[in-house]
Amino acid sequence: MKWLAHCLPLLLAGALALSGCKGGSQQETSNTFKIGVITSLTGPAAAFGQAHKNGYTVALNDLNAKGGVLGGKKIELVYYDDQSRPDQAVQGVNKLVDQDHVPIILGAYSSENTRAIVPAVDQKQVPLLMPTATADNVIQTGSPWAFRICAGSGAYATTTIDFLKAMNAPKTMAIIYENTNFGQANGQAMDKAAKANGFDVVDSEAYQASSPDYKALLQRVKARNPAVIYFASYLLDASTLMRQAAQTNLNPQFYTSAGTGFAAAEFPSKDKGAGPYAEYTFSVSQWLPTAQWKGSKEFDDAFFKLTGAHPAYHAMEAYAALLTAAAAINQANSAQPAAIRDALKNINLPDTPFGPIRFDLHGQNPHPVLITQVLDGQYKVVYPPDAAEAKPVIPTPPWNKRQGL
Amino acid sequence: MDLYAALQAVINGLLTGALYALVGMGLALIFGVMRIVNFAHGAFMMLGMYATYVLFTRTQISPYLLFIVSGIVLFAIGYAIYFALLRPIHGKSDFMQILLTLGIGLICTDGVLLVFGADYHQINIPLLGKNLHLGSHISVNAPWVVSFGIAVVLAFALYLFVMRTMIGRAARAIAQNRYAAPLMGINVFRVQAICFALGIAAAGIAGGLLLPVFYIYPQVGDQFTLKAFVMVVLGGMESIVGAALAGLVLGVVESLTSLYWGNEWALAVDFVIFLLVLSLKPSGIFGRQRA
Repeated sequence: MKWLAHCLPLLLAGALALSGCKGGSQQETSNTFKIGVITSLTGPAAAFGQAHKNGYTVALNDLNAKGGVLGGKKIELVYYDDQSRPDQAVQGVNKLVDQDHVPIILGAYSSENTRAIVPAVDQKQVPLLMPTATADNVIQTGSPWAFRICAGSGAYATTTIDFLKAMNAPKTMAIIYENTNFGQANGQAMDKAAKANGFDVVDSEAYQASSPDYKALLQRVKARNPAVIYFASYLLDASTLMRQAAQTNLNPQFYTSAGTGFAAAEFPSKDKGAGPYAEYTFSVSQWLPTAQWKGSKEFDDAFFKLTGAHPAYHAMEAYAALLTAAAAINQANSAQPAAIRDALKNINLPDTPFGPIRFDLHGQNPHPVLITQVLDGQYKVVYPPDAAEAKPVIPTPPWNKRQGL
Repeated sequence: MDLYAALQAVINGLLTGALYALVGMGLALIFGVMRIVNFAHGAFMMLGMYATYVLFTRTQISPYLLFIVSGIVLFAIGYAIYFALLRPIHGKSDFMQILLTLGIGLICTDGVLLVFGADYHQINIPLLGKNLHLGSHISVNAPWVVSFGIAVVLAFALYLFVMRTMIGRAARAIAQNRYAAPLMGINVFRVQAICFALGIAAAGIAGGLLLPVFYIYPQVGDQFTLKAFVMVVLGGMESIVGAALAGLVLGVVESLTSLYWGNEWALAVDFVIFLLVLSLKPSGIFGRQRA
């Protein structure tokens, strides 16, 4: 027992030293403030990861120009590329917390990867601010460390249904979704919302996002003859699906979608997306450069100056996430993860370019959802009526009546 | 689901299957005939896609001509890789080959990542908007038909090469007995190098033909490596005809599975067939039982 008495103080000292390393301690001495970012800079989701990075960069420049956080500390973003893979995203949490000692993490991009890192941040006790993951299960884990900026799959589905009802759409629907967390959550949310509103869900199709050939799937949908199709797709699959929908001559009255691929800035473009095949598709959206919130225009300008292209809402959500993180750090006046978490719980930013930001009991920001339609290669808000910029073109013209394909 | 839908699905499956066939024949030549376990096969297909992409964006010549150039480029790369890397470990354990080709695949993928970035690319040609109608129920997209035609011609040429030419005969002789073949005056290294390079060129050409209807990013080839192995096993290991038929079968099976069960099952069915063949008839569906 004597050896134990000798060792105990040592062990305690070791434990103290270890716990002292966690978060904060390094932050307080240096004159930069590190914030961790996990996103998909490589792999199939790289287009969205790049949008994230550009959004973060604009926010970083804005914030540091105004003096950073905690009275003059410049913010430094520590990126971790999850390669579009959930296991790598979890690695990112470990690396950012254990090696870089960041007291807050922003990310990941996809719902799949974001869902994977929630238990990791929970265990490390570091707050996680999610910019873009729309699957509602990322915020339903009961973790007190998770906060979400964007609207989720439930809001996407109910807004789309409200829109369809306002347009007097016939009540038959097919749901086509990619087979990971994002697609599944959005597919299920729509299935529930549609059935609750008297829609007949005639077909529900899961697919693998990297497949080169969806023609058989689309044929299947065509055979059921739905008036409405609801897609939950990433970008590359969205483009392939729409091209092949034309080849299959699939003509529903409404092509609707859960944003993401169908709302990406690249989607209506000819060299990076579906080009003319994107025309007339509806999508939910969380933000557009033309949004009425103050600062939207300035963000659009700054983004355009940085990249030479206009942003979609994914970039804005990253921007808003960093803005919110900085506000919470200032409000906490601390570099301790727990203090920042508590500040996030109570944060109230009524006037950001992404609209008001605050978090409910589950850590969800109650963000409104818009419906857009691609008209002449541009996303135009068509619903709700008070935000509409254009009248929706319905029903969707059949492929053989379209010009310029 | 009516008969036309099934017919349409079979046609679409054959169109995809022809490209699979070309990838599978390439691997059959390398894996089946040369006994080199090539885990970089999909990566070489990806290189073929990028080569075609770069040439297309520079010259605006049709990708249906440029695939020839990318085939030649890939042949040269394959030939060089054989002599630089594979020849030194000739006759050593299979394990070394597996590690080596895995490494080559990673270097290709990450090299492309370094040069071109992670971003995806696609090309636009006017042909993409053209659909051919056969009767009122069946329609096919023109680029798929063109690539099908080219793939079939090339597959037949590859078959003739292996069956009729001196080098093809030598390759089959090496496959039959790798110790006796050199005693008969066959230059094993040269023949293997040519076959390896041809196999890789076939994958690269298939990539080039797929480019107009698909998109590229550095990891795009990965899914095709596994599929190629499925084809080679289905086709009976050393038969390039078997691999070609297996490619067509795989295309049609995937398409029909998608039509009747759903797209999510297509890949699962591929691998169920793979496991069944491996456990019930290891010589492959189209392979002969070996004595």
